[in-house]
Amino acid sequence: MKKIKYIVVVLSGILAINSCDTKDLELTNPNALSPETFFKTKNQVQSAVNACYANLQTRGLYARHIFFALDLMAQEAKGNPQLEGNKVPFTNFTFDASSDIIQYYWETCFLGISKSNFVLDNEAKIQALPNSILTQEQKNKFLGEAHFLRAYYYFLLVPRFGDLPIYTTQTTEGLARSSKEDVYKLIEADFDFASKNLLSKTVEDKGRATKEAAFAYLGKVLLYQKKYDEALTAFNKVTGFSLESNFYNNFMDETEHGPESIFEIEYDETLGVGDKWGSDTAGDGVAESTLRGQEYGNLGWFNVYPSDDLLDEYETGDKRFGETFYVPGSKYNKGNSTMTAANFTSSAGIRRAGWKKYQNYYKRTDENLDSSINFKVMRYSDVLLMKAECESLRAGGVQSTAIGYINEVRFRADVPLLATTLTKDQVFTALVHERKVELAGEQVRFDDIIRWGIASTELAGTGFQTGKSELWPIPNRETSSNPNIKPSDNNPGY
Amino acid sequence: MMLKLKFAIIALLIVSTQDVMAQLKTIKGVVTDPSGVPLPGASINVQGSKNSASTDFDGNYALQGVNATDKITFSYVGLTSQTITVGDQTVINIKLAESTQTLNEVVVAYGTQKRTKVTGAVSVVNAKDIVAVPITNAESALQGRAAGVTVVNGAPGSSPTVKIRGLATMNNSDPLYVVDGVLVGNLSGLNPNDIESMSVLKDASTTALYGSKAFNGVIMVTTKKGKKGPGQLTFSSYVGAQTVTKRYNVLNTQQYLQYANDLGSNLTARAAEFGNTNTDWQDEIFQTGLMQDYNLSFSNGSENSSSRYSAGYLKQEGTLIGTGFERYSFRANNTQNIGKLSVGSNIGVSFSTTNPERSAGGRTLLEHAIKMAPYLPVYNASNLGGYQGPSAADGQDAENPVRVAKHGYQKVNGVSIIGNIFAELEIYKGLKFRSQVSLDYYTTRDHTFVPSFRDGSAHFQDYSSTAEINSQGQTIVFDNGLTYKTTIADKHNIEVLGVITKIENKSRNVTAGSRNLISDEIDQLSLQNANLSSNNFETNNLGYIARINYDYDDKYLFAISGRRDGSSRFGANKRYGNFYSVALGWNIAKETFMDNSIFSTLKLRASTGTTGNDKIEDYRYSSSLATNYTYPFNGQAGIGTTSGSAANPDLQWESKLDRNIGLDFGLFDDKFTGSIEYFNNKSSDILFAVPLAASTGSPGGTQIRNIADVKVTGYEVTLGYNDRKGDFTWSATANLGTSKNEVTNLAPGVTSVLGGPSGRAGLEQFSRLEVGQPLFYFWGYQTDGIYQNQAEVDAVLAPGQTTFQPGDIRFVDRNGDKVINSEDKTNIGNPYPDFTYGLNLTAAYKKFDFNCFISGVSGNDVFNSNKFDLEAMQRLFNSGTQVLDRAVVVNGSVTNPSATLPRALGASQNWSSASQRYVEDGSYTRLKNVTIGYTFSGDAFAKYFSNIRFYVSGQNLITITNYSGLDPEIARVDANSNSAGIDIGRYPQPKSVIFGLEVTF
Repeated sequence: MKKIKYIVVVLSGILAINSCDTKDLELTNPNALSPETFFKTKNQVQSAVNACYANLQTRGLYARHIFFALDLMAQEAKGNPQLEGNKVPFTNFTFDASSDIIQYYWETCFLGISKSNFVLDNEAKIQALPNSILTQEQKNKFLGEAHFLRAYYYFLLVPRFGDLPIYTTQTTEGLARSSKEDVYKLIEADFDFASKNLLSKTVEDKGRATKEAAFAYLGKVLLYQKKYDEALTAFNKVTGFSLESNFYNNFMDETEHGPESIFEIEYDETLGVGDKWGSDTAGDGVAESTLRGQEYGNLGWFNVYPSDDLLDEYETGDKRFGETFYVPGSKYNKGNSTMTAANFTSSAGIRRAGWKKYQNYYKRTDENLDSSINFKVMRYSDVLLMKAECESLRAGGVQSTAIGYINEVRFRADVPLLATTLTKDQVFTALVHERKVELAGEQVRFDDIIRWGIASTELAGTGFQTGKSELWPIPNRETSSNPNIKPSDNNPGY
Repeated sequence: MMLKLKFAIIALLIVSTQDVMAQLKTIKGVVTDPSGVPLPGASINVQGSKNSASTDFDGNYALQGVNATDKITFSYVGLTSQTITVGDQTVINIKLAESTQTLNEVVVAYGTQKRTKVTGAVSVVNAKDIVAVPITNAESALQGRAAGVTVVNGAPGSSPTVKIRGLATMNNSDPLYVVDGVLVGNLSGLNPNDIESMSVLKDASTTALYGSKAFNGVIMVTTKKGKKGPGQLTFSSYVGAQTVTKRYNVLNTQQYLQYANDLGSNLTARAAEFGNTNTDWQDEIFQTGLMQDYNLSFSNGSENSSSRYSAGYLKQEGTLIGTGFERYSFRANNTQNIGKLSVGSNIGVSFSTTNPERSAGGRTLLEHAIKMAPYLPVYNASNLGGYQGPSAADGQDAENPVRVAKHGYQKVNGVSIIGNIFAELEIYKGLKFRSQVSLDYYTTRDHTFVPSFRDGSAHFQDYSSTAEINSQGQTIVFDNGLTYKTTIADKHNIEVLGVITKIENKSRNVTAGSRNLISDEIDQLSLQNANLSSNNFETNNLGYIARINYDYDDKYLFAISGRRDGSSRFGANKRYGNFYSVALGWNIAKETFMDNSIFSTLKLRASTGTTGNDKIEDYRYSSSLATNYTYPFNGQAGIGTTSGSAANPDLQWESKLDRNIGLDFGLFDDKFTGSIEYFNNKSSDILFAVPLAASTGSPGGTQIRNIADVKVTGYEVTLGYNDRKGDFTWSATANLGTSKNEVTNLAPGVTSVLGGPSGRAGLEQFSRLEVGQPLFYFWGYQTDGIYQNQAEVDAVLAPGQTTFQPGDIRFVDRNGDKVINSEDKTNIGNPYPDFTYGLNLTAAYKKFDFNCFISGVSGNDVFNSNKFDLEAMQRLFNSGTQVLDRAVVVNGSVTNPSATLPRALGASQNWSSASQRYVEDGSYTRLKNVTIGYTFSGDAFAKYFSNIRFYVSGQNLITITNYSGLDPEIARVDANSNSAGIDIGRYPQPKSVIFGLEVTF
């Protein structure tokens, strides 16, 4: 009997120790928020919108790879021997679907699109918030930012890849490619929504997409499709801007968000750079600087230098030359130092010039891994030149009006104004020149010469292959993970 | 007369014998170990009776009430039991023999089992073998000694990669480690000198009791316990040196300048600035690493208690500069018996400091050392920090590896506590209740400090930086169980076990970093440019365990076991999994028809069963938000939040069905022993972070899904022979294991998965999963020499393309579409060996002992990412001397048709695409160890110690391989199988020579 008692005591002891254990198996993640309870406050809605911007900053885009890839393809920049092997193929169009840079570009843009869709998927929750938490104007503005950024990322993608899978909601299933035209339709609709709902630059936080930015990009998207009249209508709504009197104000840290600035990619080293070497694409963590200064700087890594072709494009006396490039004799470090020929030494010889645009040498003696200078990816002079293009090329365009826009830009550069009597073809030639020198090293020329159809002549002898090199290949990372895009679905020639 | 007398005596003897048979008597004697030392606490049992005794401190025993027909068994833990029929003896002195190849008692899950009753696949390594070779971590003791187990070491202080029976999962393939019943993550905190035995449980019948944790097999570690008898003090120590002798042949300064010139960089003047130095950067990063190890232990025991205390100190300098490992370890094991209650504890504490291999820019030290310009000196006093590195004028940016390794420091301080407290009560005859609480606790503090430096324009840091990661984790296991053991009608042996186990695992880490713009003097965190984050993780497991072992007269064995397991890592619908096993065994040698055969052991056994795997990240079934995005707005950091990694609420257990057949045999009194095993395992629903289409933009890019089924089959053969001729004894043990895996099924919608590291930035991924192929085989292009001229290019590729030119690699256009793209890729390598083997030879002559141990693998491919550094020629870096044999193109034709490498700066596919170019045969045979020892013992020293042994030992002295890398025995990049067979230039196995001594007082 006593022994049975023992057994009963022991067994009940075991049960006591191990009871209510099943509850212990139901754990929630203490490190993360749950989506079910989100979108309840203004800060939460704003935070979801903030995340959409973060992919602009990644190494896949403006922290590192985009300026290399596009400046090299446009032959504005040439590589010194230290240029990394994954960037060299952009100098001679030998990249293929295994390129990591192409993969990063693709991934980070689609990550940004997915984040925008996260906001838009929750539109009902946002709209259901009472006015006391979020006014209708604020709701529309936040949704407008998400639309703007989705369009922005798609507009980074479509010139590079052509037909694209269209995602308007978050999903884990890879979609097939839709036609380029359908992608443009989505981009137009998104920028249109944004233009109607975003706030004006005059009232919005610096760094956020604005109504004017939406109009500028809507115009650009329409121009890329040669819808000149509609584009002009959009550009005309970009008001309240003027050219910086000093061209170089566009490329310094202290003069960001000036009168010419329409949309900028933000960097601010003082906010932290601890996660700079994290993902090339995710945009997570604190990585508020770009490598541009160190990568391009002739006193830094000097990976690339301005091509002779670009240097030779400038007219004598063009003030922009001295603001875009350093040459022997250039002052730097607040005027306290002077560049010498030895400062342009590469192991392959002494170069004629180094990049000045977006460099920190104007105030310092050297570059480091962290540059805080924003990229002004849309500035008013670009809009003026695009307006000139629309006016000149639209049916019934008035050439003298177009020339007027170009002359606004030339006036600042202190170069002779164009005669108002130029023909349409002469205006076009002038535009090709003006965009090349005004926007050098700002990642617009490659798209320009592609859409103008002059790439095969402009890029002759570089390895550019008409019918292939206009587009990048869809990266292997996509074709190996998306059952609906196979390697055989890739762009011609890849 | 004489004859009569004889008859009379015989008759008398018969009478008296019969008389004695009826009469009880007392026998006595001394029980000693093989060397004649008296054994205290040896047990003496009369078979089939409760009559028993044990020896006193001097090995003496006296056993009363013995019949002449009684059979008496003398036994002592660790020695072979001996059974004697009493007859007319009254004094029986017994010298118990060392147990040879097979331990009598084998540690299995939740208990021990007699070797003869084991029905599963178990390999055992004993203390003697563990310390036969000086090792710094316990896992190394298994290498080559346990069939089907592979062990590869990394840098000092890092945990080796251990695999049992190949790979059956794409997830973490580390086995479960159980130290004295405590589930631990690895054995790094354990001093090998404290280990009594290690059992490797390889099939489901032995592992199913660990259910969801046993998928990759289980390694049971038993620490040494106190031995009965007067206190025994032992001391052992070794000192030695390790070195890496192999180097890659790279260009010297003169060759490099010419090579650079060919690539468009004139560096003559630059090299002259440094006086045309010729730095051997590999010599700069390798060093001779000294190692020393000291162990002191004290063991004693009485009738009712036993204890063992030990302390150890290990200091190991790495063979790479800046690396090293230091460990203080302490252990106290105690057991007390109070009547039917037995309580005890086994607790080990260790303090360690690891200086890991440092890296910079995502490149290893070795990669930097290969690529550095040889004309640059290591040091330059005029540079901030004192080191020289490249500037833009050098045309390349390899980082000074000596500065990377030695400027500042990285220290990982760890504290580990592994211990348990248990109580066992015999409630009723044969029925025992056991309760045990186990703890595996660790803290680590990973502190990195880098002062400011400026090597040149390429590499500098204008501030000092400090980073610290503090982690703390604990696993507490509560086990409560009952065992019942009985024998019915002398022949039916039954053992029943039931346990409830609860595992609580918690971990936490805090990561912080900051910069100091003002000073290099302070190596502590501050608020300057600080970052901070922390994480908490928790997982719980609940298991219900049952096992029944039955045998009929030791001849027919039957075992059945099961576990119901719950895990918090899975969603509500899939939270529980059931695992079971069944095993049968037949001790053929015990059958009467085998009575006169040469077989001393002959056992056939078969088992089948299931285990599961829950080694996935925590919380992956639930969706969550990520709030770690930042973007500046109005000069302030705007915090961004978005959806986290794609969740999968339908996650379920990975499961594995094991089938195992084994035959154990021993011939000529177990002089020749062996076993043969065949296994056929099938894993299903293997969890894998499936890469989602990149265009879905899913954060993290993957979703955990149950996607694959994998079949793993193989054989294991172990053969042993031991013999003695006078003073000469010797033994040989050989083992051989094969393991072949194949993906048999992938989830609908998944045709293939590409994953794993490529090893180098710019080199594409190549580890692929596909039905009908081995797990993560190498997928890439076949190569067919080098295009010699444009006609050859045009014969393969569409005319007009400019990517490939004469001098580039001719990749095979397998589908003939005149374009080289991923549709032309195929299987270019299998990372798994056809077989692995080990050969262990021991011999002793008088006071000399000798041990020699050879291990190897055969038939595996290695993806040698180092070749990317040595011969990619994608841009200017120092390179292997093989680049001197690259294709030279003049006027569109290759002028040196015998060239083995493509042209420099050629098509990027030459180097960026995964191709046969990087794949090599990884087979090797290695002399892992040779040891010669000499033991002093005997009266001359008895005053000071009972014996002292000196030995000298050499490791990895000879390696036979065709592999071109520094070491064919490559440490895995991580625990996941998608990094199998990839050599990224990690820590090569050093050669070492060691002198040691062992003293028993």
